[in-house]
Amino acid sequence: MAANYWDSTQAKYWTFTKSDLAAQRSELAKLNSQLHTTYPLPDRRHMSIFIQQALNKLSRRMTLRQQALATAQIYIKRFYLHVEMRKTNPYLIMATAVYLACKMEESPHHIRIMLGEAARQWPELGVTESSKIGECEFALISTLSSRLILHHPYRALSELQSSFGLSSEEGQLAHAIINDSFNTDLPLLYPPHVIAITAVFLAVVLRPAGTLQAHSSAGSASAAGMMGIGSPGLAPSIPMLSSAAAQNALSGLAGLKQAGPKLTKLVDWLAESQVDMEAVVDATQELVSLYEAWESYSERNCKESITKFMTGFSK
Amino acid sequence: MPASNPPSASARNAPVLNLQTQQPASAGPARTQNPPKRTAQATFEESAETPALVKMNATPYAPQRHINDHYEIVGFISSGTYGRVYKAISKQRHTFAARQTPVAKRSDGTEITAFAIKKFKPDKEGELQYTGISQSAIREMALCTELSHPALIHLVEIILESKCIFMVFEYAEHDLLQIIHHHSLLPRTPIPAVTLRSTMFQLLSGLLYLHRNWVIHRDLKPANIMVTSGGAIKIGDLGLARLFRQPMHALFSGDKVVVTIWYRAPELLLGSRHYTPAIDLWAVGCIFAELLSLRPIFKGEEAKQDSKKAVPFQRNQMGKIAEILGLPRKSDWPLLQSMPEYQSLSTVALHNPSVNRPITLEKWYKNIIGNNNYQPPKAPAPDETALDLLKNLLEYDPLKRLTAEQALQHPYFSPEKGDGKPPGWNCFNTGLENKYPPRKVSTEAHEISTGSLPGTKRTGVQDDGLLRPVQKKMRD
Repeated sequence: MAANYWDSTQAKYWTFTKSDLAAQRSELAKLNSQLHTTYPLPDRRHMSIFIQQALNKLSRRMTLRQQALATAQIYIKRFYLHVEMRKTNPYLIMATAVYLACKMEESPHHIRIMLGEAARQWPELGVTESSKIGECEFALISTLSSRLILHHPYRALSELQSSFGLSSEEGQLAHAIINDSFNTDLPLLYPPHVIAITAVFLAVVLRPAGTLQAHSSAGSASAAGMMGIGSPGLAPSIPMLSSAAAQNALSGLAGLKQAGPKLTKLVDWLAESQVDMEAVVDATQELVSLYEAWESYSERNCKESITKFMTGFSK
Repeated sequence: MPASNPPSASARNAPVLNLQTQQPASAGPARTQNPPKRTAQATFEESAETPALVKMNATPYAPQRHINDHYEIVGFISSGTYGRVYKAISKQRHTFAARQTPVAKRSDGTEITAFAIKKFKPDKEGELQYTGISQSAIREMALCTELSHPALIHLVEIILESKCIFMVFEYAEHDLLQIIHHHSLLPRTPIPAVTLRSTMFQLLSGLLYLHRNWVIHRDLKPANIMVTSGGAIKIGDLGLARLFRQPMHALFSGDKVVVTIWYRAPELLLGSRHYTPAIDLWAVGCIFAELLSLRPIFKGEEAKQDSKKAVPFQRNQMGKIAEILGLPRKSDWPLLQSMPEYQSLSTVALHNPSVNRPITLEKWYKNIIGNNNYQPPKAPAPDETALDLLKNLLEYDPLKRLTAEQALQHPYFSPEKGDGKPPGWNCFNTGLENKYPPRKVSTEAHEISTGSLPGTKRTGVQDDGLLRPVQKKMRD
């Protein structure tokens, strides 16, 4: 478990193949086909970005920990694998996931504080009793089968960072790419070290190529603030990488044209290690595709489609 | 040893238990004064009355499993600050829901037939609202779900239903406190050396697993170490356990007081903020000593917190330790001076002058072994290496104290010692007749209302059991 990802409930019960994921989702969609027709939703990644940014805003109010935010995002992802989003109040799920994640990550907040901050941040929440969060917590834990201990890529990243002698800039970039990865299915598909390696790879490939755009991290604002990355003027909705940069990265992976010494070392290490290279390649593609999708992201679209199914239900 | 006692058919059908539970506030004053009697089963069935659908605004959410479909309560085991523990058996599989689910099994594939169900009580009895699950319950649920080891109590499932949390564990017929108590009854008999060695071996194996997984138990004591009828040791009660890998805060800031006073390590008594898994090894040393002497080795009195909630220095407990070990010295424990309560240490001798002429562990051990009336060759005394293991567990300096891994490498456990065999996984495999009474499961009327009996953690053990200190838990 905590020491060994391979023995963890995350590895055993919450890591899927792509076809498993697709089957699970289409089954859920079939059961709720009427709702899907009445209330179409934007791209799943757009919804994830919306959730992440909503959590980041809450995080700024409450100075939540990066780790707790990451945990909350995974809880939400797992929950919506089993429960149709259109039947829920996503703001309540978010508030509850953060409430539970903070307890799990040993930085608890009182349920009334959590409700108060969430209600102020999200007027759409529409909940005034903290018992609603308590009730939702039961549902969340049941749906997750009490499997609440998570392994995130950050730990693997800090190990890689020292073994490859990454500069602090490269480290921050990789960290922010990991934050972005929470908007994809990667945490449901691959072990955390694969995601960390992918992030390091992208960070190392992109830096010497000069394609890095110093955007603010799309991930946790607190992390970005903590690490001093991003220029303050930029809106936090901008992803870590432009899709053009990401495309370059992908060609870098294929050809390794700009092979600097660090990249050579990384590639040699990958070749010798037992790391699943196919997974790393696929994860890279998922991220590239995320950055493409990000360009058409609209916060308003997501918000409005949520409001539609929420009001549709309360009628 | 018999497996768990299957209750008779009559016991199963009759309303075996009368538990008085405080009525919900809405019941009105008249009913509160005269609450209706309920059976133990009824305390579970109450949940079935409430609608199964939990509404999360528009979200219909049906709990997947109902406690009553699967378990039949046969009696009440104990209560504590966390809630209550009941003994249960699998429900006769004639209901549809019961037939739908597979039989509960251990990791070796054998069927589990008896269960201990821990029901967490809501913050206030009869609480009608969800108030959020306590952090310690969350920790215990998450850790028990994640961990699996032969020397760890096996979690069968967790059922969340109608504001109640039910953690369903495999039932264990005994615990170390009960076994110690049984041996201390007249005529007093020592715990057989083979049992002792196997118990310590299994306990340390389970602890090694916990520590390798970055979990500190933080509440090891005889009452929390279960023993199955097959002689398997099972570490239980992870309510205070937590992960210590890269903690976000110093461990101290979360729970200010951990470990029941008699088993609390000196670095905790001296106010250390960054304690380590070594605190569990001190507790194991205390348990080892208690298994030898059948009495807590450091039976101090807990200093209560003052009104300002400041954590007081546990002078009396420190004195009890020093009566045997002597006061800790800088020469043996280099970081001693950096302990927050270092200055208070000098006051121990003023209140308890005998710490200046400590008994020493050697003498303590010699007395115990001498008085224990072992009967070789059938029931020999423990191997001479036992004292050395004990000394290295009850080591003041946490950095010098044995780790679980080192302790398992100790000569005490080497195959050529003891009975010439490596320690086994059945601590009752002694070749001696030694029947322990089954756990007391109360089926008589019990009055349980909130806060009335703060000390009764375990009803199965009387006298001595009631005198044991209740653990103080200060939660964040």
